This record gives sequence, structure tokens and C-alpha cells, in this order.
Amino acid sequence: MCDILSVMAVVRVRGLKRYYQVYEKEPGVGGLVRSFFKRKYKEVRAVDGVSFEIEQGELVGFIGPNGAGKTTVLKCLSGLLFPTAGSASVLGFTPFKREQAFQRQIALVMGQKNQLFWDLPPMETFVLNKEIYDIPQKKFKETLNELSRLLEVEDVLNIQVRKLSLGQRMKCELIATVLHSPVVLFLDEPTIGLDVVMQKKIRDFLKDYNRRHRATILLTSHYMGDVKELCKRVIIINKGKLLFDGQLNEVVEKYAPEKILSVVFSQEFDLRKLDKIGKVKELDFPKATISVPRGATSVAAAELLQHFPVADLNIEEIPIEEIIRQVFTGK
Amino acid sequence: MKKYLQVFKITFKEYFVYRLNFLLWRVRNVAQLLVLYFLWQAAIPEGQTVFGYDQTKMLTYILGVSIIRSFVLASRSVEVASDIATGDLSNFLLKPLGYFRYWFTRDIADKILNFSLAVIEITLVIFILHPPLVFQKSLHLLFLTLLAVGVGTILYFYFSLLLAMIAFWSPENSWSPRFLFLIVLEFFAGGLFPLDILPGLVFRSLSFLPFPYLLFFPLNVYLGKLTSGEILFGLSVGLVWVFLFYRAVKFTFQLGLKNYTAWGR
Repeated sequence: MCDILSVMAVVRVRGLKRYYQVYEKEPGVGGLVRSFFKRKYKEVRAVDGVSFEIEQGELVGFIGPNGAGKTTVLKCLSGLLFPTAGSASVLGFTPFKREQAFQRQIALVMGQKNQLFWDLPPMETFVLNKEIYDIPQKKFKETLNELSRLLEVEDVLNIQVRKLSLGQRMKCELIATVLHSPVVLFLDEPTIGLDVVMQKKIRDFLKDYNRRHRATILLTSHYMGDVKELCKRVIIINKGKLLFDGQLNEVVEKYAPEKILSVVFSQEFDLRKLDKIGKVKELDFPKATISVPRGATSVAAAELLQHFPVADLNIEEIPIEEIIRQVFTGK
Repeated sequence: MKKYLQVFKITFKEYFVYRLNFLLWRVRNVAQLLVLYFLWQAAIPEGQTVFGYDQTKMLTYILGVSIIRSFVLASRSVEVASDIATGDLSNFLLKPLGYFRYWFTRDIADKILNFSLAVIEITLVIFILHPPLVFQKSLHLLFLTLLAVGVGTILYFYFSLLLAMIAFWSPENSWSPRFLFLIVLEFFAGGLFPLDILPGLVFRSLSFLPFPYLLFFPLNVYLGKLTSGEILFGLSVGLVWVFLFYRAVKFTFQLGLKNYTAWGR
């Protein structure tokens, strides 16, 4: 058995660049008039030479601050944008050519926009997608029943979209996007604006989808919760450039060489002695947090327990949010 | 093909969602017709001839043009511009669906609905105002009329798409050129008056432009005012324009897509 997909990366990005021309408008009427006659153009390097590969069945988190270029990469991969330079291939296709065989196998979910017909019930869009993707009636019924049960929207399928709540609408959007069982899914902020219960539902859904279809998923999110729960591997980009590509726990090791000891003391003592253990980050008696080098954690903990009146002790990793913030700000 | 059938159905259903909107749309259409009708009735006193048209001929023309207009100029593809400007175009680019075919289907749905209702409304107008009518009995001419309407319809479709493409480069002002164009179009297509009342040279020059083939030409084929040679000439010029616009739209769309940034998505 030599499945072509098993020997070839599903997504392959090489030196991808995408620049935009934007013109600047100065504030005020004067600026408006000036910009009418002579425009100042500025080049924005949204993506500036990014390379990575994703194998079949991987669920990869794509993170970066606002404007890092994440969405632009996803748009290039799904065939919406023409790359300024470099190349992208998905399932062996060049996305921008938008061949039907390619389009039938991929999907792009955008948390911010919708494809559902606003004035009609979601069902109408589902039926349209059924025809567009040539989904057989039986399979359509099965998939739709399953998805709507899983996402708990069975009873809103025939209600006008404009009357649905944000959560219901987002779930219906998701159904519309995966009805044709794509094997490659690009998701841009799939949980944006949703409450925690709904976020969890969407995550569970994605995890399940990834497992059952061996689908390759690349997802961006500002909620580290999404990434922590779903992705083993993360790709971090900032200002169009790749900063990190590897396992999520490696990010922690690479960018957080320290661990946190949080201690609760049982009685007073000379607090200055704590400086010997490590760097005291917070002190609010009886609580204290001390950061110590990763390798010295157990020694420091033992020291604390032996020589200090400790009531409670926890060894923690620096929260991932904190680490990512450090990566972004370069500190 | 089934996908376009569903597009057709969806377009129809959308119209019937908002009843008031629907009603006002029809009222506007009738009002537009009546304004033109009474304007020309007042401009040409009974028994007199202006620009070679007497009152009955002119009123027949106005009614005929309303019918042709209800089909040829009815269109949804205006929305292509906002698709591009808002980034909704992305939805279509992701799917195995012909974007132009999608909009042509929506246009046809719109045309059929608009035409059917216009026929009812104009029948009512005829019933109340008793204008003189011309019924074309020659099957041959009726067939040629259908052909001419078909050419006009496709011509207008590509016209409309080409205008919408402006949004690729100037997303914030795709409406002003369209508005300007629609006024010019009404005038030169013969939507306000029959073009042959213009001076001979102007009229002859116009016949090389695409505009008359939208309204004026199909109506004149129906009215039996043209010789076979003139009909052949008209259809040919119309088709040449269809081809030119088709190429222009294809080219501009490809160019536009390279420039497309899928804003807002």
C-alpha cells in the first residue's frame, strides 16, 4: 500500500510571501483632498517568507498576535489569495488554480463572516451545498442529522438565519462548511465571540472530526484554551515571519526556562531569606510565588519544605498565555 | 445543473420573505411606467406628430419598452460589486461553483419574476387606459424578437459584471460609476424615447454601440419596423459586443482576483 498522501505532506508551504498595497488617508478634509489627487501607497508585508509542512491527520495550532499574517496564510492555502512569491500546495494542488477536485476536499471556516443566506433558514444553504458538492441524498441526511445532533441545532434548521443567536448561527455555519466531509480544514477563529460552553462544543467537535476522518486541520485562535486542548503542534508567526514550529510543550521549554513555585506559609519568618531559593515574583504574606530554573526545581522545593514553615506548595509551569506573550513581545 | 436549480429556487424564495418590500418594488415599477406614459401623452397632442411619432405609436413604444425592460434590465448581479468589496466573494471562490453562472441564474430568476409581474401590471394599465397595441402575428418575427432579447440579456449581464469588477480596485466607490452608467444606458438604449427620433447621423453612429441592442433593437424587431438585412446587422453587432464584453469580463476578473485581498474575512 503506497498511499500518495502518506508519503507526501498534505500542506506544503515554501517561502510564502504576500504583500499588500494600501494607501494611507490623512485625517481631516485637507487630507481627504490630498489623498484624492495623490495617493501615498504603503506596502504591507502580511506574510514574509513562511515555510512549513503538515502531514495528514495533524491538528496544528497557528498562533500569532493580531495582524501577524495568520489569516493571510489560510487564505493563500485555500485558494483565495494569489501569493506574491513562494509556493503553497495542498493535497498536491496549487490552491490559487481553484480546481474542483481541490475545492471538494477542503474547507475554510471563518469565525467572522457567514455563507448562510441571511433571509432564509439554514436548511436552504445546506441543500444548496448538497447540490454544489454533489453529496448523495442518503449521505447528506446522515451527515446533517449527525452534525446537528452533535452541535444541538436540530430544532433551528428551519428558522430564518437572521433570527438565530450568534452561537446557533456559528454552529450552522460550521455544519454548512463541513457537510461535504473535507479532508483538509482551515479554521480562522472558529470560536470567536462564543461562550465557554459553546467553545467547548466546537472544540470537541473538531477533535472528533479530526480523529474520525483523519482530517488535517490548521486552526488559528486567540483563545489559548482552543490551542492547548486541541493541538500538539503549534506554529507561531509574528509580523509575517515564522517564530516557532514544533510541539506545544517545546514552546514551554524553549521560552520558559523557569518554573513557578507557589507557596503558602504557616507562620511568619524573615522573608528576605526567600531570595536564596529563587527569584521572588510576588509576595503577599502568607502567599508567595518564586520562579526557579527548570533544572533546579526539585532542589528548591526540598529546600523550602525543610527550612521554611510551609503550609502548601505547588510546582507550576508558567501559564502558556504568559509564554506566548513573551514570545510575541520578544522579551 | 441541479446546483443552479437550487440557486434559482433560493433567489425566488428570498423575494417572498419581505412582503412590504416586494409590494413597494412593484409600485415603483408601475409608477415608472405611468410617468413615462403620461409624459409622452402630454408631449404629443392627439392628432399631431412629433419626430415622426404620433401619440398612439409613441405610447405603444413606451409600453413595449417597459415589457422588454422588465426582462433585459432586471438583474441581481449588481451585488457582485458588494461581494467583492465585503469579501463575500470568498464564499464562492472556495466552492466548486461557477461564480458567473451563479449570478446568471440569479439574474434569470429575477427576470422571470419581474417579467411575469410586469405583464400583469401592464395588462391592468392597458385595461384602464386603452392604449393602441400592436400584436405581432408573424412567428418568424416573434422568434427573432426572442433572439434579440436573448442577445440583449447576455449583453447586459456582462455589462453589469464588468461594472462590478471596478470594486476590485476601488471597493469603496463602485456605486458612482454604476449610477452614471445606468443613466447613460437608459438614454442610449431607448428606455426613455425611441432612438430614431435622434438626428440621422447620431442614430446611425449609435447603432454601432452596444446600447441600442438592449431595448430599442428587440422592440423594433417585434414591431416589424426592420428589414431582414437590418435585423441581421443588428444581431451581428449585438453578438460582437457580447463577445467583446465576455472577453473583457474574463480578463478583468482574472486580473482582479490577483489583486483581491478578501478584506474583512
